[in-house]
Amino acid sequence: MQEPDRHEPPHAGSERELLETFLDYYRGTLLVKCAGLNEEQLRARACEPSTLTLLGLVRHMTNVEQNWFQRIFLGLEVDFVYHGQRDRDREFNDLEGATSDQVERDFLAVCEQSRAIGEAHDLDEFERRSNDEWRVNLRWIYVHLIEEYARHCGHADLLRESIDGATGD
Amino acid sequence: MVIVAPPRTEPAFNGPEKTQLEAWLDYHRATLLLKCSGLSFEQLATAAVPPSTLTLLGLLRHMTIVEQYWFHKIFADQEVVPAYDAPDDPDVEFNDLQSATIEEVERDFLDACERSRVIVSNADLSSLARAAQPSTPIDLRWICVHMIEEYARHNGHADLLRERIDGATGD
Repeated sequence: MQEPDRHEPPHAGSERELLETFLDYYRGTLLVKCAGLNEEQLRARACEPSTLTLLGLVRHMTNVEQNWFQRIFLGLEVDFVYHGQRDRDREFNDLEGATSDQVERDFLAVCEQSRAIGEAHDLDEFERRSNDEWRVNLRWIYVHLIEEYARHCGHADLLRESIDGATGD
Repeated sequence: MVIVAPPRTEPAFNGPEKTQLEAWLDYHRATLLLKCSGLSFEQLATAAVPPSTLTLLGLLRHMTIVEQYWFHKIFADQEVVPAYDAPDDPDVEFNDLQSATIEEVERDFLDACERSRVIVSNADLSSLARAAQPSTPIDLRWICVHMIEEYARHNGHADLLRERIDGATGD
């Protein structure tokens, strides 16, 4: 995988600008943590007993983007990039099959779809999937995705450092 | 003495900006304590995922001075005595873990968080940090989102440290 362009969020500005740029910053950070590693390193369970891998994290976030922006917010029927009938964590567990190039392409395509959905709707707009008191608004989805990416990038930090010693934000 | 897992509230699924940011921030403050709860001093001070030198105790100490830095000092321009400080070691909060007991570390963390909560609750998210460089204005909105992602990232570190220490996992 290639190191992406990554831009620091502006230190002052509107709510929307900040949420969009922080989310993009973390999409980029996950790819930075994967950049330059070979197929075997990307699939290494480098911090056992945890079963997490860098490639599994990129696959997981691909599904997570689809789930929140497409399935829940827009209420669409979604054909997930990684889906398992018997293994609900298939994106983490079955790392054979797709090469890292394919995983990266799918991830970038799904992020682009999410960006287009987010930009077209108000942050106070509710999800279409459900109509109860638990329904989320777009604002919640943005903040949740930022913290979910950040937490997984924390996992990625320690995986990467264990694999080749590389560190950094 | 061990840290007791604090009550932790899931952020409300909808609502206005400030309510959500405050709720996520508190959720991650509590998550860090949860990851530290029930462990001995030795476990908390163990660099359990080498070659990383991070420890759970170091993370808790680090976030204490991060709270002091961003909310108390930079945003509110208050007089701040950093909870961990050494003239010759900029990372003393990570490195000199013997300088304070678990009890002291937890108390300083909770005190710093409480002071931050009061500052945020009395300010508008668009208000600018009083002690930032005039050439690079920083608003409270950025500080809040930055703190959420900084906590979340360190809680990711805490996840793998804790799992290595005693096998415990979970959000």
